[in-house]
Amino acid sequence: MDARARQVNAFPVAVAVGTLLLVAADASRACGEALRGTTGRAENARYEIVFAAVPAPLAAGKLFSLDLAVCPRGGAAAPNALAVDATMPEHRHGMNYRPTVVARGTGTYRADGLMFHMPGRWDLLFDLVTPAGTERLTATVLLE
Amino acid sequence: MNRRYSGLAALVAGLVVGATGAEPVAGPSFTAPEVRAILAHGPWPPPWQSDPSNRVSGQPASIAFGERLFNDPRLSRPGTIACASCHLPPRSFTDGLPRAHGLAATDRNTLGLANVRRQRWFGWDGANDNLWAQSLRPLLDPREMGGDLAHVAAVVRADADLRERYRESFGAPPSAADEPVAVDVAKALAAYQETLATGRTPFDEFRDALARGDDRGAARYPAPARRGLALFVGKGRCNVCHLGPDFTNGEFHDIGIPFFAGPGRVDAGRHEGVRRVRASRYNLLGPFNDDSTRQTATATRHVAAEHRNFGEFRVPSLRDVARTAPYMHNGSLATLRDVVRHYSELDEERLHADGEQILRPLRLTDAEIDDLVAFLESLSASQANSSTSRSR
Repeated sequence: MDARARQVNAFPVAVAVGTLLLVAADASRACGEALRGTTGRAENARYEIVFAAVPAPLAAGKLFSLDLAVCPRGGAAAPNALAVDATMPEHRHGMNYRPTVVARGTGTYRADGLMFHMPGRWDLLFDLVTPAGTERLTATVLLE
Repeated sequence: MNRRYSGLAALVAGLVVGATGAEPVAGPSFTAPEVRAILAHGPWPPPWQSDPSNRVSGQPASIAFGERLFNDPRLSRPGTIACASCHLPPRSFTDGLPRAHGLAATDRNTLGLANVRRQRWFGWDGANDNLWAQSLRPLLDPREMGGDLAHVAAVVRADADLRERYRESFGAPPSAADEPVAVDVAKALAAYQETLATGRTPFDEFRDALARGDDRGAARYPAPARRGLALFVGKGRCNVCHLGPDFTNGEFHDIGIPFFAGPGRVDAGRHEGVRRVRASRYNLLGPFNDDSTRQTATATRHVAAEHRNFGEFRVPSLRDVARTAPYMHNGSLATLRDVVRHYSELDEERLHADGEQILRPLRLTDAEIDDLVAFLESLSASQANSSTSRSR
């Protein structure tokens, strides 16, 4: 991972009554516009990832999936693969589950087998395997 | 948001005394996030959902068959111990012993069965991912009932009433193949246990009063329990793991209880549980899951084995907790007061040496301990409305 790839895009997240509100991706953006429901986004100079949780809203202790769209920027190569994980930095632990990711074509993916097993701050980690190496993008989720 | 709310009154136009003219609610006030946290512990009871992995889930004939089997000591090898010998209804289906004792002593406390259908993992280590596999386990464990698949199947085949009940449940008499018959017995046992549910509690009455803006109803909740609730969702942050209507996240944590099971023996907890559930022929990925879509197997398919799982045990539900003493996976804490004191005086060095960093000693006063115990006691239904009641 090069220095640029270490860049972390932390999402400010608002939490409403019983509902996780991710900072919505700009609706005018093409990336991930086909995703349904509330979306979140991770990005750096070369890639943008838009994701939507299924089912939504997220709930602590419940398994969920993510529908994702990965969009290269500025002529960056399309990634060969995507891996998804999550950690709870303040508690120094990750998830109890290891998600699987399936490519669905045209830069879209489905990640299954995620669970945030307690409320608090979670960092969603997206590892893009690209011809230039692996790039990690991060999105922060605050779960009440 | 730092604005504080005095009970539900503040939820309706910021009034301290509600429109009904009730007296101001005694006890602490709650912040808006605390109110949301309290509401998240309900509503109760939850709606019934059958188990797709068990084709007789929710079937009346199978429930009755399962209840009969639950109380039948012939399922044990010597014919002396039934499921009901250790899972006693007045104790929320626990036995009151520190560690279970079937045909021999075991290393773990008997878990209650009330609301068991709502679990994702079963047993203190989650070594099973479904209730029928968990029901089969003690039948075959030499320290518990000491049988084997052939013995279980033979008991059903040899008794005319059990044979008829089996036929009524599964559409055919027990076959000559031991394993499918024994698994079906376990599925009937599961169908019965799915009906065991705790009733409405004083906490539920308070929570629902809060939800509907009923000051008078909320004021009936005793002040000590209310103060304990404030600690539970506030300073104690107990609801980080004991969350939702079941007061558990259904997962596993190390809370500093020693995992030595005896001289030279350790109880690896979830570390071993993950290995066992993956290896089990009776898991939801295996051939006996009646859910052909295998959507019920998502957790099993993705569960991760981590080094930190060593010494982790399942977060138990707190519903009916006042009836399930003694506490912890090894029954080492005799009373709820002991449990609260444990969290008050945690050994932080022991906890954070190699694992997650969640718990801090709460350093509670004696009065705070009293209040937390009062709150925990308010999570039990009255005896008349207790776990002996059926959810269906």
